[in-house]
Amino acid sequence: MTDYAPVDLERGEQVEFDLNGRRVHAPPGTMLVDAAHANGVEIPIFCYEPRIGPPLGACRMCLVEVEGMRGLQTACSTPVSQDMVVHTKSDLAVDGQDGVLELILANHPLDCPVCDKGGECPLQDRTFRFGPGDSRFLEHKRHFPKPLDLSSLIALDRERCISCFRCVRFSQEVAEDGLLTFQERGGDSEITTFTGGAYEGRFTGNIVDICPVGALTSIPYRFVARPWDVTNTESVCGTCPVGCNVELTTREGRVQRVSGREDPNWIHEEGWLCDKCRYAFPAAWSPDRLTTPLIRDGGTTREVSIEEAVAAASVLLARENARPGIVVGPEATVEEGFLAQKIAAASGDAPIQQLGIPAATLAPIRALPPAELADLDGAPLIVEVGGDPANQQAIVELRIRKALRHGARLVMVGSRPHALTGLGEWHETAPGQIAETVGRLADDIKGTEGVIFVWDEQSLAQEPDAVPVLAELMAEVENAKQLELGAHINGAGLRALGLPADGVLEAAEAGDIGTLVCLLADPLSAPGASRWDAALGKTGPLVVIATHASELTDAANVVIPASMATEHEGTLVSMNGRAQRLRPGQEPPDGAAPGWQILVAIAHRLHTDVARSPSTILRTAVTERSALTGLSYKEMGRLGMRLRRPSPASANGAHAPREPAGEGLRLVTTRRIFGDGFAARSDALEHVRQPADVVISPAEASRLGLEDGDRARLVSEHGECVLPVRVSEAHQDGVAFAAVGVPGAGVERLLPADDGPVRVQLSRA
Amino acid sequence: MNADQVNAYLAPLRDRYPESRALILPALKYAQTEKGWLDLEDLEAVAEATGLTSAYVESVASFYDRLYLRPTGRRIVSVCVTLSCMLRGSDQLYARLCDLEGLPPEGGTSEDGGVTIQTAQCLGYCDKAPCVQVDVDETEGPVLPDEAEEFLAKVRAAAQPTEVWR
Ligand code: SF4
Ligand code: FES
Ligand code: FES
Repeated sequence: MTDYAPVDLERGEQVEFDLNGRRVHAPPGTMLVDAAHANGVEIPIFCYEPRIGPPLGACRMCLVEVEGMRGLQTACSTPVSQDMVVHTKSDLAVDGQDGVLELILANHPLDCPVCDKGGECPLQDRTFRFGPGDSRFLEHKRHFPKPLDLSSLIALDRERCISCFRCVRFSQEVAEDGLLTFQERGGDSEITTFTGGAYEGRFTGNIVDICPVGALTSIPYRFVARPWDVTNTESVCGTCPVGCNVELTTREGRVQRVSGREDPNWIHEEGWLCDKCRYAFPAAWSPDRLTTPLIRDGGTTREVSIEEAVAAASVLLARENARPGIVVGPEATVEEGFLAQKIAAASGDAPIQQLGIPAATLAPIRALPPAELADLDGAPLIVEVGGDPANQQAIVELRIRKALRHGARLVMVGSRPHALTGLGEWHETAPGQIAETVGRLADDIKGTEGVIFVWDEQSLAQEPDAVPVLAELMAEVENAKQLELGAHINGAGLRALGLPADGVLEAAEAGDIGTLVCLLADPLSAPGASRWDAALGKTGPLVVIATHASELTDAANVVIPASMATEHEGTLVSMNGRAQRLRPGQEPPDGAAPGWQILVAIAHRLHTDVARSPSTILRTAVTERSALTGLSYKEMGRLGMRLRRPSPASANGAHAPREPAGEGLRLVTTRRIFGDGFAARSDALEHVRQPADVVISPAEASRLGLEDGDRARLVSEHGECVLPVRVSEAHQDGVAFAAVGVPGAGVERLLPADDGPVRVQLSRA
Repeated sequence: MNADQVNAYLAPLRDRYPESRALILPALKYAQTEKGWLDLEDLEAVAEATGLTSAYVESVASFYDRLYLRPTGRRIVSVCVTLSCMLRGSDQLYARLCDLEGLPPEGGTSEDGGVTIQTAQCLGYCDKAPCVQVDVDETEGPVLPDEAEEFLAKVRAAAQPTEVWR
C-alpha cells in the first residue's frame, strides 16, 4: 500500500508551488500530501486514506507550514494552489509533527515485539522516520483487556488503536455496511459495532490492511509470521471471475495470508478485496484435499505415485478404441486449457468442452467496448442487467457503491433482489422479460452519454431475445462501455482458446466416449449434473485431475491430485478480458502437481510435442490462438494486459427466446459469496458461510403450504434436490431463488447443462 | 421514540441546520426526554430522521456525558473533577458518594435506581469548589466530602423533575 493517491504530473492543468525551497508542480486541487509524495517528499500521515474518500483530518500527523496561513496546516486536507509556499521540514512544522506523534504514542503500548504488525507498521515506520524519538509522558498508558474478537476473522486490540477512524470510515463509507463505530471520547475511545455484535460482511478484511497500527489483525494470521521471515508473491485471486490482484504472503513454504495489491492508478483495483478472496486460501489444507494419486481397477483401489497415475491415464487415452473426451473446468488456466486441447487433438481430435455457458448469442454485446472497473467511478449512469454482483463478483459491488457516492445514477433490471437494489432504480423483472424491460427503459437511457452497462452473462444467455435489444441500445448511447459479470473464473480465458461449452456431454450420451478426462472439472456439481450423471454410465474409464475429493473422484479410475490457484503458474483472463499471471505462493502438497505439469507429462507419453514450461506453453498458445495475440508473461507484467482480439465465435448457443418446459416456478440461481469453490472449503470462512436455501415469496409459500424453515423438495425436468425454505417479502412471486456451487446442496441437478432457464415444482420434503 | 416523532420535532429546525449532521444533537436531546436515556430504538429513530447511520448516531451519543446509552437513576449527580474542584477534594467526594451508594469507583446507577453518580468536567463554579450538579439544576457548592451523606439524602428526598432533559 502506498497510502498516497496517484497524481498525474504529466498531463492536464498544473499549478506551481514551492516545496521545501524547490519549485514543483501538481494538478490544482491535489492534496498537499499527495502532491508532495509525487514530488518525492514524504509527509507523515495516519488517518489519510485517499481510497476511502475525502480526508477527515483526524490524526493531525500531517502538519506542515504554509506561508501566509495561520498556524500549521493538515497537508492531507489542504489542496495545493498556485505559488503556495510549503515547508514540511521547517522547525515549526517538525515541532508540530513531533508533538502529534508524541501524543499519539502517549497511550500506544510498546508491544511491537509481539505485535503482528511489527515490521510492516506505518506507526512504527513513521515513529522511526519522524517524531522526537523520546517521550515526556510518565503517566500510565491506558489499558483494555487484550484482544477482542471483532468477528471470527478479525481481532481488535483496543490499546493499540490511535483513533484514526480509517476502519470506521471504511465500514461507513466504502463497504457502507454501517456497522463499525467509535464510542466514548478521548482516552476512552474504542472501536465497536453498533449493536455490539460481530463485524461481519463481505469486505471486512480490508480494515486489517488499512489499520496503520496493530489494532486490527487477521485471526488466521495472528502470530503466524513476521514480515522479515516471509516472502511476498504477486498473483491473482482465482476464486471469482473479477480477477483481483493479490499478494500471497508465504512463510515456511505455506501461504499464510492474502492481501490486496492496488495498481498505481486504481484502474483495475484499488487494493480492496472481498473476504472470499482473502480467506479462501486455507482450502489448500482442507480435509478433503487430494494428496494421494489413486488407481481404481475392478474394485481395488491402489495408492500410487503421481508418475504411475500419469502413466495409467496416458494408457487409457492411447489404447485402442479409447475414444477420449475431455472436460475442462472453470479454474483451469489458459495454459492448462491449451494443453488439454493439444491432448484432444493428439487423440484423434477427441471432443473437448468447458463447463461454461454457451457463448454464441452473447457475441454482439461482447463486441462492444469493454469497461475497466475504474470507468464506473465517473460514470453518469450505470445500467445493470441481471446478476447478483454482491455474491458473484463482489468487488464490482464495491465499485458501484463508489460510483453512486460520486453521483452516478443506477438503473437495475433483473429478477433477483441483491445488495444494490435498494440504492438505485430497481426494475424488478420476471424471468424472461429482460428484453421488454430494457426496451421500455431505452428512451430514458439513450439520452445520457458514457453509460456503463453491467450485464450478467448467465441472465443474458438465458434470454437471447434481450441481447439484440441491449446491444442496440448500447450502440445508440455515445461512448457506452460494457462490463460483463462473468459466471466462471477463467471463462473468458477458455473462450479465447475456442473451447466450446458442449460436445462431450452429447457424445457421452450417445455412447461415443470411452475414456473421459475431467480436468479441474466436476460435471456432477455443475449445471446439467443429472444429465452428466446418466452419461457417465455410458462412458468408459474415468480420469480425474482435481484438487479436492468429490463424488466424481470417488468414482474415478485414475485420480491425479492437482494444484490450486495459489500453487501454480498460469494465466487467468478476467471477465472483462484482462489476462493476468498467477504465480505460486506455495508448492502443491506431496502427491499433487500443477495441472500443467500433469498435462505436459501426459502429452509426452502420447508422443505429442508440447512446450515444457508455462511461459513457453503460453507462447505456443499465442501463435496458435488468434484471440491471445500479443500475450506474454512479460507483457502481462504486474498488472496484466487486455486481450486485443475477440474470442472465436462458438457455434453453439440458442437464439430464440427460451421458455422453459414443464410447470412450476421459474428457478433463478446465483452463488453464495463464501459458499462455493475454495471458499466453501476454507475453515477460516466457516463462521460466515451461509447454508444453501430456496427463497420464495410469501404468496408462493402460502400457495405451496410451505413455511420459513421447512424443507422443500425441488423437482425440475432435469432432476431434484431438497433445500430449506426461506420466505422473503423482497422476492417476487412466480420464482424460486437458489444458489449453485454450495457443496452437497445439489441445485445443479435441477439445471440444464447449458445453465439455461428451468422451472421447478416445490413440495414439502 | 420513533422516527416520525423525531421528524416532527426536527421539522421547524431543518432550515436552521441545513447539514443533517448538525441535527443529531437536537434530535438526540429530544429523544432522551422520553425516558431519560436512549435505547437502540431511539438511536435508530434519530438515524432515520437525520439520514445518517445508526452507528454514527450512537458514536455521537457516546461522546457526550449527558446523553445516556444505559438506563439512569431517578436523579443524576455530576461531580466536577476538573482542576479547582480536584484541588479542593472532589475526588474524595466522588469516591465517598460512590461508596455510599454501593457503586464501583467509576460510578454508575445505584441498585434501587435512585441515583446515578458520574464525573463532570468544569461546571463553571470553580469559586464554589468542589461543586456538584443534580440533573440540570443549578450547580451547588461547595459540597465537602464529609457532607456527602447529607447531600445524597437531600437528593433522594427531592421530587424527580417532570421534564427529563439531562
Ligand atoms: S483500529 Fe486501527 S484503523 Fe481503526 S481507528 Fe484504530 S488505529 Fe485506526
Ligand atoms: S493524515 Fe492529515 S490529519 Fe491525519
Ligand atoms: S473545576 Fe470544578 S467547576 Fe471549574
